[in-house]
Amino acid sequence: MSSNRWLATGNYFTSYEEEQRIFSTSLDRSVMCIFLFILFAWPLFLSVGNKYMLVIDNILVAVIAVIGLNLVTGFAGLISIGHAAFVGIGAYTVASFCRVLGDSHIIITHGWPLMIVVAGFMGALFGAIVGLPALRLKHLYLAIATLSFQMIFQWTINFMNFFDQGQTIPVGRVFWVTGKVARKEHYLFWYYVILVVIVILGFGVRNLLRTRYGRCLVAVRDNDRAADAMGMHPGFVKVYAFGLAGFCAGIAGALHAYLYRGVGIDSFTLHHSINYLAMAIVGGLGTLQGAFWGPLAIRVLDLQVERLSEWTGSHLTAATNLTTALRPLSFGLVIVLFLMFEPRGIANWWRIFRSYVKLWPFRY
Amino acid sequence: MKEKNLSKWTILLAAICMLTLPAQALSGEVYKLGLSLAITGPTSDAGNPYSKGVEDYFSYVNDTKMLGDDKIECMIRDDQYKNDVTKRNFEDFLDQGIVFYLNYSTGSTLALKKDFEEEQIPVLPASFHAGNLVDSNYIFLPIASYSAQMIGLTEYVVKNHKGGTPKVAMFIHPSAFGRGPVEDVKKAVAAGLDVEIIEVVEHGKDLDNTAMLKRLSGKGVQYVLSHTVQSPVATMLKDASSLGLVASSFGEEGKITFLGAHYTGGNDLVALAGDSAENFYWTTSYIVTSEPGEGTDLQLALATKYNRDEKAANSHNYANGMMVAQVATEVIKRAKSKGKEINKETLYEELLGMNGDNAFSPKTTVGDVTFSETDHAGVDTLQLYVVKDNKFMSEGSPFIPEYTSKIE
Repeated sequence: MSSNRWLATGNYFTSYEEEQRIFSTSLDRSVMCIFLFILFAWPLFLSVGNKYMLVIDNILVAVIAVIGLNLVTGFAGLISIGHAAFVGIGAYTVASFCRVLGDSHIIITHGWPLMIVVAGFMGALFGAIVGLPALRLKHLYLAIATLSFQMIFQWTINFMNFFDQGQTIPVGRVFWVTGKVARKEHYLFWYYVILVVIVILGFGVRNLLRTRYGRCLVAVRDNDRAADAMGMHPGFVKVYAFGLAGFCAGIAGALHAYLYRGVGIDSFTLHHSINYLAMAIVGGLGTLQGAFWGPLAIRVLDLQVERLSEWTGSHLTAATNLTTALRPLSFGLVIVLFLMFEPRGIANWWRIFRSYVKLWPFRY
Repeated sequence: MKEKNLSKWTILLAAICMLTLPAQALSGEVYKLGLSLAITGPTSDAGNPYSKGVEDYFSYVNDTKMLGDDKIECMIRDDQYKNDVTKRNFEDFLDQGIVFYLNYSTGSTLALKKDFEEEQIPVLPASFHAGNLVDSNYIFLPIASYSAQMIGLTEYVVKNHKGGTPKVAMFIHPSAFGRGPVEDVKKAVAAGLDVEIIEVVEHGKDLDNTAMLKRLSGKGVQYVLSHTVQSPVATMLKDASSLGLVASSFGEEGKITFLGAHYTGGNDLVALAGDSAENFYWTTSYIVTSEPGEGTDLQLALATKYNRDEKAANSHNYANGMMVAQVATEVIKRAKSKGKEINKETLYEELLGMNGDNAFSPKTTVGDVTFSETDHAGVDTLQLYVVKDNKFMSEGSPFIPEYTSKIE
């Protein structure tokens, strides 16, 4: 490696510790710092309407959920098609407190950071329980087990009076040190909260992957028998992978509940589970960056197709309801195209771009 | 030479000013409204004509200068029946400064209730769910609630049934929209409405109802009261017809008479069920085009003027959309005539004052629209229709269900 870390044009590791660093070069670290600064500072200089702040917040919540899904499916290789149910567990944890204590109870309005953590742990608990079949099941069979959890979750919420049979359960406005977070600042406030959570979780996962617990996930994914032979406990690793995924999902669910100020089953259906899976695939399974690219790409695509179908819907006659098919069609097409032509997802494009920039102006 | 050029420019500028300034002064105000609904996706068979009804009526208001030089700009967005998208659309409308909001589904109306309260914006949804009005000051139902409709149908059954207590089953949508009126009908029964509710069936996505119909028939059910959308009702009617279970006259012994609330009926039901829809009883507050009148003439004229197809033109959901646009226009007109500034507060005041001599008759409904501090349901009157030769025809006179007030 170059003696001057600012001039490094490649990664020349001389020790195992060097390879495990979070940032390979000082430039990487500086770019990340500037990027984070921009993320925190831009709302102070640019004014964005509530609609777009809601879209941005929504993408960030999805990022947290996909970080979790990426841990279980990308790193540990366990397919989960019930991820929206785990997100729902987090959201309904908050909703349950609202039902019992009232939506404006001090625990809901002032103790919201605690509520978010509690929701995370509830997600982790359910994740670990649902992960138990992973001790015996693999591949498609495990996928079906997670699918059944999704179905059970939906059915329970839809038919239990406690959960208002899936109708929206309101969540009160929260308080910050400056007082009640008013409607005007609501989306901006939650933007910062979600961003802080993402930074903590992002670094947390990056660090986890540097530890033996993180490497166990990858080892079990690649060959669980070999991992077993090397002294790892594949069963425990699988359960804790589900637990970790559930924790992230639970946190995402609680943030969703506070952001939308209500919890309804509409946001945690099988369709949403497939959506999270698509985000993970399009972003790049088994990469941390993929958890950021996927939600961004899918949500932006969603918005564009939404506009197109709205436009066609208002111009075609009521008899031809073809526009309804546009969204699922485009959604399915994007996944198929990614699986065919870029199975490593957008994260791979990012890797290629970074390599190019790092080596520029040299080709090799 | 230079001076000559300069004066030419001055004259040109003056001419431009003369032409543009009066135009600006005369262009009037633009009042922004928002509508978020399912133009595509689930329930878009109702949402699509509904949106066209709203769009066409506001175009008509602007084209005929009903508000003088002022215009209404109603932004219509598709939410695909998803509450999250409705919320986003609503935030977008607020960013753009709407003074009145038109919503659509029961789920999103309930989900956004707190937002409506905080924004203090008057809202007219396409959902007639009675629960919309609980803990709400700003939601107004255009017509009688689903509960009132179902109670009205039950009262009709009690009044016209011969021999003993009629046995009924309820066939409902598996959602708050469907479940809402069940409790209210049960309350009406407890209050003295003499029917026996044998079973409440929440339909799924069944393509065949044979087993269910046989079961209901076996239990001696004589009437099925439906509160859902058209397609499950059409499936049920077709199966009942195949089994020979449909009563050829009201209350025919040994057969089942089928009845339904607003979203179960209309021309779409006839198109889906065909001849099986014969003798289906349906209630709504809207006047349908098979019963021509002043309102339906306007409805058909608007649809023709704005090049709508026959299906949309004859849809009761087109009339539904037209009607909410009529109410919104009326409150703006009234506020304007009183010299008030048009904003959320004044339009809310005008809605609350729409009663007594100030009741509004849109002509597209069987009764007047009345709102007050305590009454947030617009048209209280219902009309019963029955399908005869593939057309919905009036059965009796408009009525107000008696038990609605008894269970409050």
